[in-house]
Amino acid sequence: MPDIEPFSPRGMFHEGWTAEVNDYAIACGWALKGKQFIVGDVAGGIFAFEGDTGKIIWEKENTHSGGLLAMAIHPEGEIFATSGQDGNVQICNCDEGKVIKTLDLGNGWVEHLKWSNDGLFLAVASSKRVYVFNEIGEEKWISEDHPSTVSAITWSNKNELATACYGRVTFFDIVNNKTNQKLEWQGSLVSMELSPDGDIVACGSQDNSVHFWRRSTGMDAEMTGYPGKPSHLSFDDSGKLLATSGSERITVWSFIGNGPEGTMPGELCHHTEPISSLAFSNKGMLVASGSRDGSVVASFLKKDGNGDPVGAAFAGDLVGAISWRPDDCAIAAINAKGVVNVWKFKVRTNLFSKGFK
Amino acid sequence: MSIKDKVPVTILTGFLGSGKTTLLNRILSEEHGKRIAVIENEYGEVGIDQGLVINADEEVFEMSNGCICCTVRGDLIRVLGNLMKRRDKFDYVLVETTGLADPGPVAQTFFMDEEISSEFTLDGIVTLVDAAHIDQQLGRSDESSEQVAFADVLVLNKTDLVSDDALVTLESRLRDMNRMTRIIRAENAKVPIETVLNLSAFDLDQILKRRPTFLEPEYPFEWTGVYDLDAGKYELMLEEGPDPEMSLVALVNQGESEEELKDGAESSVRLYAEKANTLEPGNTIPYGDHINLKLEDKGNKSFILNIEKPTKIGLFTQHTAEEFNMKVIKSDENKEIPFKTERFWQAEHEHDDEVGSIAIERFGDVDPEKLNTWMGRLLSEKGVDIFRTKGFISYSGNPRRIVFQGVHMLFTAQPDKEWGNEPRRNQLVFIGRNLNEKEMQEGFDKCLI
Repeated sequence: MPDIEPFSPRGMFHEGWTAEVNDYAIACGWALKGKQFIVGDVAGGIFAFEGDTGKIIWEKENTHSGGLLAMAIHPEGEIFATSGQDGNVQICNCDEGKVIKTLDLGNGWVEHLKWSNDGLFLAVASSKRVYVFNEIGEEKWISEDHPSTVSAITWSNKNELATACYGRVTFFDIVNNKTNQKLEWQGSLVSMELSPDGDIVACGSQDNSVHFWRRSTGMDAEMTGYPGKPSHLSFDDSGKLLATSGSERITVWSFIGNGPEGTMPGELCHHTEPISSLAFSNKGMLVASGSRDGSVVASFLKKDGNGDPVGAAFAGDLVGAISWRPDDCAIAAINAKGVVNVWKFKVRTNLFSKGFK
Repeated sequence: MSIKDKVPVTILTGFLGSGKTTLLNRILSEEHGKRIAVIENEYGEVGIDQGLVINADEEVFEMSNGCICCTVRGDLIRVLGNLMKRRDKFDYVLVETTGLADPGPVAQTFFMDEEISSEFTLDGIVTLVDAAHIDQQLGRSDESSEQVAFADVLVLNKTDLVSDDALVTLESRLRDMNRMTRIIRAENAKVPIETVLNLSAFDLDQILKRRPTFLEPEYPFEWTGVYDLDAGKYELMLEEGPDPEMSLVALVNQGESEEELKDGAESSVRLYAEKANTLEPGNTIPYGDHINLKLEDKGNKSFILNIEKPTKIGLFTQHTAEEFNMKVIKSDENKEIPFKTERFWQAEHEHDDEVGSIAIERFGDVDPEKLNTWMGRLLSEKGVDIFRTKGFISYSGNPRRIVFQGVHMLFTAQPDKEWGNEPRRNQLVFIGRNLNEKEMQEGFDKCLI
């Protein structure tokens, strides 16, 4: 974007560190309680940096022939899993990046990885199937073939896994090998997020809409009018606000009261090109957004989904992913040129954040 | 951030056994300096010998609105979405679809999905047909006629197995179905690479350069000659030709410019629609009438043209002048008067297949709002049956011509080069199934100012 000049961190962003990986950075996450930041690039390079300084701790190349597709760090932060076009899943330790276990799932791309919240299970999606393994890579469950390639997976509680594909979201009790619920809707679901209590299921759809269901009531609704497909969704920790991509604006639906049906969403217009990543802070009503134009903005939201920017920075190129440090005191962004930016984020107190209301 | 060029994508379609994999391997093995990523849906008996090959099962995703133009290929979105992060590894993409694939969703993926369309551009659709079997396939399956209808290039493969006569008949059948397409004959899928890659087939200027007449409508006449005549008596003399009779319309005050010729042609089309009056040799030719010259007799036959005051006469004839060695002779001087200008027209002929092409050409400007309403209604009613739309439009008040591209109901209208001194005109081609030419032309005419 010629009309965007690099600028120094502003507002609540403070100088942190910058590093580089070897290719387009596609996945990242904080490990060892924020002491380590791990980045994966599209070619299969994995890099571990010191969380505070950005000093490289270890790196490895060509972990997946054909390229890396996904990475997930265990909630305890001691181990992580990666997957790729080679059809493999690797479980590695964070300290040294050593492979503990390699799982070979065949020829299909392995595109999605999710640890359950208690860290006992790792869910893995490859083509039309979903597998569940335990921490040491023992297979615990396999789904039947889905009607199409599985496009998203997420855990709704410790034993229940949700999968999205063309036409439906399915909830599996993976311990008792049962299908708990099927939510059907004719459309290609490209993304899925659950509210923290697991009741609200939100899916971005190829036809430029967000579809959501409330599992407790079975009610569903469709939010249309997006210029693009909402590939990125994020719930805040209270489950009241859902931030969605789909254009250069962040559209925020509020589930407070009777909403969001029949309400106007909040709209945050901070970027000049479409949103390419979205992440709510671990606690509180802060949402960080990254855009194809390379800008990163943190916004403080009100209950109705509207809000104000509280900090911004320029990451240099399309922002592939954003990750808040577990204590929300730092924010990391990785970009299409393989640049890693970590900014310190001003410590917020409950008292302080009320100041924005 | 740098502004990147979009990666061109060629779609390769055709029935199993038409030679897709052979062509693919030929393309990949040739020295063309391109690094090609291949997305393959059909795993044939022949493997592909190259590095960046991605297998993907065909996944056709229809949307809840039931709109056919929103139907996309999920597998392509997924694979291309990953490929766009690896731009340093390739600079061209080839998508090989199965013989049963509907090309519509494949093409639509490049229009409908913003993430894909911002990184990739559809360069062209290449359809391979097996010359020995396509006749039967066209009768049996909708897919094969759709693949023909969508094609920017038709590779008529395995021509060594078919007689020349059969090839000519086949080509004319395929041409009827798709007037936009370029037909290339091949044995063993051997075609020059530049005829299938980097076509810029969605770039109208390129197509017009290659086939300047493709957008032209068909006419009931093949030829026009304009004669500058003083007052007096003239004879129109014809020798024996391919037909025992010939239709003709003679117009007075016929101009010689392209625009005036097209105007004359439009008037003649209307006159040709009326019943012809038969003239025997020696009769006088009336002006502005559809007439039918009787040419059964041996030797030269003459018809009379009376000119009261100097004028330019336009003769719009069913066949070309050459075919009958047709001449205009000033009677008293017995001197041949050569034509000032001649113009050949795309002659119309019978259409047998359900799938066919319709061309609309009109001079003048259109009202953008009226056109939008008409196109919107046309595409919502007939979008399922309209496979491809190409052409350009003159919007009133807009200095640039507007280029139209469409796949089913989707269309894009983009400002293109400036008109400059060129006469303002509109040319549109629709390829589809069971299209009503007259209705569509009338609909378009209502959009003219």
